[in-house]
Amino acid sequence: MHHLIKAEFRRLFATRVGAGLLLAAVLFGGGLMGAMALVGPENFDPPMPGLDTEAGLRAILGMLGYTAFVPAAVGALAVTSEYRHRTAAVTFLFAPRRWQVLVAKLTTYGVAGLAYGLVLAGTAATALFTVAAVRGISLGLPAGDVLALLARIGLAMVVYLLIGVGVGALLRNQVVAVCVVIGYLYLGEPLLMMIPGVNALYPVLPGGATAALTDFTYLADAMSQEVGSTAVRLLPPAAGALLLTGYALAASLIAIVLPMRRDIT
Amino acid sequence: MASVTATDDRPAIEVSHLTKRYGTVTAVRDLTFTVEPGVVTGFLGPNGAGKTTTMRMLTGLVTPTSGTATIAGRPYGQLRNPSRTVGAVFDASAFHPGHTARDHLRVYAAMGGYPDSRADDLLSLLGLTEAADRRTGTFSTGMRQRLNLATALLGDPRVLLLDEPSNGLDPEGMLWLRGFLRRLAGEGRTVLVSSHVLSEIQQLVDDVVVIRRGELVAAGPWSRLAGPPAVLVLSPDADRLAAVLRGSRPDGDPPRVDATGDGRLRVHGLDAAGVADLAAAHQVPVHELVTETTSLEQLFLHLTTERTAS
Ligand SMILES: Nc1ncnc2c1ncn2[C@@H]1O[C@H](COP(=O)(O)OP(=O)(O)O)[C@@H](O)[C@H]1O
Ligand SMILES: [Mg+2]
Repeated sequence: MHHLIKAEFRRLFATRVGAGLLLAAVLFGGGLMGAMALVGPENFDPPMPGLDTEAGLRAILGMLGYTAFVPAAVGALAVTSEYRHRTAAVTFLFAPRRWQVLVAKLTTYGVAGLAYGLVLAGTAATALFTVAAVRGISLGLPAGDVLALLARIGLAMVVYLLIGVGVGALLRNQVVAVCVVIGYLYLGEPLLMMIPGVNALYPVLPGGATAALTDFTYLADAMSQEVGSTAVRLLPPAAGALLLTGYALAASLIAIVLPMRRDIT
Repeated sequence: MASVTATDDRPAIEVSHLTKRYGTVTAVRDLTFTVEPGVVTGFLGPNGAGKTTTMRMLTGLVTPTSGTATIAGRPYGQLRNPSRTVGAVFDASAFHPGHTARDHLRVYAAMGGYPDSRADDLLSLLGLTEAADRRTGTFSTGMRQRLNLATALLGDPRVLLLDEPSNGLDPEGMLWLRGFLRRLAGEGRTVLVSSHVLSEIQQLVDDVVVIRRGELVAAGPWSRLAGPPAVLVLSPDADRLAAVLRGSRPDGDPPRVDATGDGRLRVHGLDAAGVADLAAAHQVPVHELVTETTSLEQLFLHLTTERTAS
């Protein structure tokens, strides 16, 4: 098994995907957080509560959750690349117990997702504290709470990477899988929030569960006000975490079971 | 070389009553044959005959509908470290275009549990050392072919399966491939090479397995299936030429000479050069001299044209 994991790490770092993932973490973590903090949520359009309030702080931390399409897309890209470049046959020749290959991939990408999440959260924390100090703002939450919220978002990124792997194994076509993942996370879920009735589902979707981790209801509230539906009630953070873990397990199961007997032609 | 002692008495490759259906299409139908070590075996048949499907079933990539396909006496999935026993090449290009040749081989060396030095050994064996750090996306067909072979040979397997390796190769590449595979077979390995073009591999193979529409048509040593070569000769003095030829003793036995009318003779047991030399020595004029296509070539031509016609 460790041979297979070693091989998957080599595969990941032999292309630019590995480095690109870390770069994206810095850009979205430090970059996005730094930019939002510099501008200040009170200057957003429409204006949001400032960083010196708990609501404002939670809101801009929650925004980071919307970068989850990055690790998810990378997961989908990585798994489908084997079909696209026809290396799947070679891989399964070397390891005919296909589930082992997928377990190795899930392990490797789980670690990559963790690295992405840690870099994202770490650079975001650095940017946030630096900008707050420079602008002389005292944050609306104690530093320990901010770090805990960021850590939750960071860990959620592992889940998204695994969801990407599952969708990739399910669809196998690279372009389709990446479009589905990005399209759903970036557009699909926010759109669902706008449909009265259907938006009741939002708390149990991956985006809703992630928002629950930081109790980030700002966007959901804004949307329901916009369309005049009842406000969305997110799950408690622990339930959100449990649900996300469930999604990760389901995606992993799909990734492991599906390729087992499928013909590679 | 790797060996599986417990099963050494079994044929290297054994296909038995193998059938594969895709929906309503039967790609392979009740196919049975064996492949011996130490020789190159050609797996022949027109496009769509079921060659690729059979080879994918042999390597566990495709699950048979019924029947068995074993290597060294075991289904592929039950070989302990399969890349140590079997190397296979299916696609002309099976690499991530962003990987270098060395990266690619190291990924699979890691997968098979081989040291990284194995990747460099194979790069040098296949003459790819210069290209080791180039991205495979920039490789020519010939280089891709070599990198495919390098990947398949990482585990020093004693069975090698190549699906249409001659596709897209220039004559020089073909010549190189022929020499390389001959050498591998000479080391006692089992080499199975598929092709839909007989002429491309007839100089390469010792044995052949011919299939059509998923069914076995012929199998055995090339020399037996090809039949004894015959020479057709046209002479204005056919009777005298026949007498001269019958009077010769090239291999102790006189050649068989049949008159086919119009001054034509069909000669078995003597090649074109032998016929020409004898005619010249006895000053018999010869107007035409042709080596007849072998019976396997005729069979194959028949299969191919029948397929195109249908
Ligand atoms: N995945 C598949 N789905 C449906 N039909 C297939 C599939 N793979 C092969 N076939 C059909 O099976 C037959 C044999 O194909 P193949 O094994 O590729 O032949 P060959 O390699 O001899 O050209 C063909 O009729 C082909 O169309
Ligand atoms: Mg084929």
